[in-house]
Amino acid sequence: MNILEATHLTKTYTIGDREIDVLKDVSLAVPEGEFLVVQGNSGSGKTTLLSILSGLDKPTQGRVFIEGRDITDLGEDEIAPLRNEIIGFVFQSFHLVPSLTVLENVMFPAELRRDPLAGDKARALLERVGMQDRLLSFPHQLSGGEKQRAALCRALVNAPRIIFADEPTGNLDSTNGKAILELLLGLREEHGTTLILVTHSGQIARMADRTILLRDGTINGESPHAP
Amino acid sequence: MLHKSFIRRQITRSGRQALVFVLCVTLSIVTIVALDGFGSSVNEAVLKDAKSLNGGDIIVHSHQPLSPGLSRALRSWEDQESLRSVRTYGFYTVVRVPGEDRSLLATLKVVEPGYPLYGSVELQSGRRFEDVLVQGKIVVERSLLDRLSVRMGDAIHVGSATLTISDVVTREPDRPVSLFSFGPRVFVSSQDLEALDLIRKGSRIQYDALLKVHDPDNLERIAQDLRDHALQGQERVETYRTARSRIKRFFDNFLFFLTLISIFTLLLAGIGIQSVLAAFLKEKERTVAIMKTLGATSRFVAVQFVTVLGVLGLLGTLAGLALGALLQAWLPGLFRGLIPSSVQPSLSWRMAIDGFILGILVVVLFTYLPLDDLKQLKPVAIFRSESARARRGWRAALTILAVMLAFLGLIVRRSLHDFEIGMWFVLGVAAFILAAALMAQAVLWALKRARIRSLTFRQALRGLFRPRNATRAIMITLTASLSIIFSITLVEKNIDASFVQSFPPDTPNVFFLDIQPAQLQEFKEALGRPAEYYPVVRGSISRIAGEDVDVEVERRSRGDNLAREFNLTYRDHLLGDESLVEGASLFRPDWEGLQVSVLDTVLDMRPVEVGDMIAFKIQGVPMEARVSSIRARRGELIQPFFYFVFQELALRDAPQTIFTALRVDSGEISALQNRMVKRFPNVSVIDVTQAVSTLTGVMVKLSGITRFFTVFSVLAGILIIISSVLATRHARIQEAVYFKILGARNGFVLKVFTLENVLLGLVSALLALGFSQTATWLISSRLFDIPFRPFLLSSLSMLMATVSLVTLVGLISSWSILRQKPAAFLREQTEE
Repeated sequence: MNILEATHLTKTYTIGDREIDVLKDVSLAVPEGEFLVVQGNSGSGKTTLLSILSGLDKPTQGRVFIEGRDITDLGEDEIAPLRNEIIGFVFQSFHLVPSLTVLENVMFPAELRRDPLAGDKARALLERVGMQDRLLSFPHQLSGGEKQRAALCRALVNAPRIIFADEPTGNLDSTNGKAILELLLGLREEHGTTLILVTHSGQIARMADRTILLRDGTINGESPHAP
Repeated sequence: MLHKSFIRRQITRSGRQALVFVLCVTLSIVTIVALDGFGSSVNEAVLKDAKSLNGGDIIVHSHQPLSPGLSRALRSWEDQESLRSVRTYGFYTVVRVPGEDRSLLATLKVVEPGYPLYGSVELQSGRRFEDVLVQGKIVVERSLLDRLSVRMGDAIHVGSATLTISDVVTREPDRPVSLFSFGPRVFVSSQDLEALDLIRKGSRIQYDALLKVHDPDNLERIAQDLRDHALQGQERVETYRTARSRIKRFFDNFLFFLTLISIFTLLLAGIGIQSVLAAFLKEKERTVAIMKTLGATSRFVAVQFVTVLGVLGLLGTLAGLALGALLQAWLPGLFRGLIPSSVQPSLSWRMAIDGFILGILVVVLFTYLPLDDLKQLKPVAIFRSESARARRGWRAALTILAVMLAFLGLIVRRSLHDFEIGMWFVLGVAAFILAAALMAQAVLWALKRARIRSLTFRQALRGLFRPRNATRAIMITLTASLSIIFSITLVEKNIDASFVQSFPPDTPNVFFLDIQPAQLQEFKEALGRPAEYYPVVRGSISRIAGEDVDVEVERRSRGDNLAREFNLTYRDHLLGDESLVEGASLFRPDWEGLQVSVLDTVLDMRPVEVGDMIAFKIQGVPMEARVSSIRARRGELIQPFFYFVFQELALRDAPQTIFTALRVDSGEISALQNRMVKRFPNVSVIDVTQAVSTLTGVMVKLSGITRFFTVFSVLAGILIIISSVLATRHARIQEAVYFKILGARNGFVLKVFTLENVLLGLVSALLALGFSQTATWLISSRLFDIPFRPFLLSSLSMLMATVSLVTLVGLISSWSILRQKPAAFLREQTEE
């Protein structure tokens, strides 16, 4: 069963008096539990595709379905619970809330759904990624690797069905990048989570179930890899 | 070298920050400019109408009939036809409706034919004053008709005479405002003076001789001659050029006070300027770092930004001048009743140039530090988000402090003629702002460490500590400005509750003045209740503790002064509310010669010790007494008290009157007043509750004006809130977007931002309430000696109003942030 489907997605941005087609008639389906990698050069539309698939942005044309539900025209407040419970995000720039501690950042999504175990779950995840000593640190006090580990814990605290990861290792050195990727894949394995990951790295792409290649806003190729 | 397009873009790209900066500069000078111009307008009007406002070219004041020497000198000039004079007699008396129990304290002015020498007394009928005010007739103020329910043509008792009301006065040339009067005006012709039978020995009467000099060149010569013949300390000779009327003195003092508030606003707006500028320049740090990386010198960078701030400062200054002029045009309306109606706003080049210089000073003073910070920025900032500024050495810090103090001194010097008081005020305000800062810091410290369970509340609290949030600056500014407004309101309410709503128990509420010694026994019997009687002898001081009293210097004093006439008394015991602070007894039995006991209040005017000598002049007779003791009183506001108490033998035979003060049930006051005045027409009865109500009316007006000017300092706080939101716009959008990405609804984000502003307003208002309740308690208990009431409901209303205002301003400023779409923000972030 497909957990995510997108049909004929088009996205056009207007910059000044110019119209730029970032996505052109992109359709794809992602089965539950799949690890899908989206690759492409800079400006190929990878991040835009990820934003639209995750409901952060609206397509100019086309539709997006998550668990069979059409999310294309949902309002901000209607899509909020979906982001909170079904989707998890990991970004290249980490996007931790600067005014919150590490523990508070990780607890936040669980607290939003009034989970009484928010604190316990956050602590357990942070311990799992070796950050038990950094619970009360603020993001600006962390290294890049630590920030991304915290962001990863935050994405997983509500046990989402899909994780969208945009260049999660892009801002990290190779050691930290490798560690983060191992953690991401290990946790995904444990929870059977669907992972949609945007990356430039061919090495990561080879670890995926499937890779799609974007070029100039269209899917230019697809290469399944054996699990 | 100036990079014009760079400068233009720095302004346009941070348009909103630039606007708030301009508004802060505008706010810092607007009230000072307006008050400066307004003060000049009043001075001009007073100078232009000086002759009619003072009543003549030369004015002789005395509380006694003019001394023979001065009378002779006056007559001699009149005989030479060098001048013309008219006499006036001013005093309070109770007037009665014949055959009825209606009476009223009135302000009598008995005038000779020829009054007024300058200007005219305008009457309701339009007739000429000199045709109307003839023997047997009186001209009254409209309120007398209303309060006594009488009409034109009715007769009323004034003293021992019965006079007919012939017209209503609408304008007096030498009494431009009547707000301070305790009773309506009654004009009486001098031909009726004797029939009134009100002038007795020692009665409290203002004897004035108004002179019109025929040849203006003779004015100073005549004035000096009259001064030479006047009794020092008893008779005062002034010319229209030098006389400071009561209104002028009051206005000068009040304007001085308002200018102090304006400097307070300037300081708070200065905090705003620094706060906005810090945020504005923070945004430019990366640009500066890039410029420096490319080889730009600190000097080049400084020149560009000094130009940017110069342009913005200039705009703010010009706007301040324009708004100041507008405000000035509106001030006569605000001060209506307190200043002569002839005052018209006027604009002058001097005002414009002064305001311009002030604006430039303000910009230099408050932009120096942030600009210096920018100059110190290192190119490495291009790589690091944290501060890459060089640290200042202590010498540099001291130099900056000295420069800032010097600039502040210049501003105070420019705005206030009394530099010493001004600097004390500035230091006091600085100490108060420091106290507010420490309190705000303490509260923030506690809040930062608070463990909060509620997610919304916790996020809101965290928001207060967002990097670049001007939380502390906002709290300090709002706390300081609101403290003033809250204090004014609470003090006003306390006075109102203590004196107007319920007069304090056991405090006298009726005063009987000018009882003649010969009437005392009969008066006591007529009064029929026990009371303490105080003999009053009027006298002045010529020398105290070895120093002569300099009349000119003393009269310039803003508070009480030694050059005025004092009410002296004699007795051999302390009053119930008095105690000795120096000396074992009121008088020393072992000392020879005259002795005087001094109230400690005198020490505020001149230090005096037991054993010092004081030279008095009583009815022109010199008398020297040795200070035998110093007394203090508990400070009941309305209890009779005397600065100087003599032994009985010293003053027993001096011309004197007697007064008494007693507590009467409010329902009985009117009947008692009627009964006593009927029998003793020369005795003035003052219903203190009514007098207090008049004073309260004045106070409400003054506090309204003060509050109006203090609101400008609240505006400084509001501008800082807006600038803080602008400065943290990026951080706020980031938070809002992250919250939304993680599944928060718009309502949650709105709640967090609202609660953050509620917290900001609440903490500021609570701190301000703390300060103002303390200040009100001190003022009530120490200054007015009235019971302190916290007025919790009013306090709560002020608290709610503040919270609502701060929340509203914060939310309006954040509205576009709340509407930000996550994807657009993330895309911008990625592009960066």
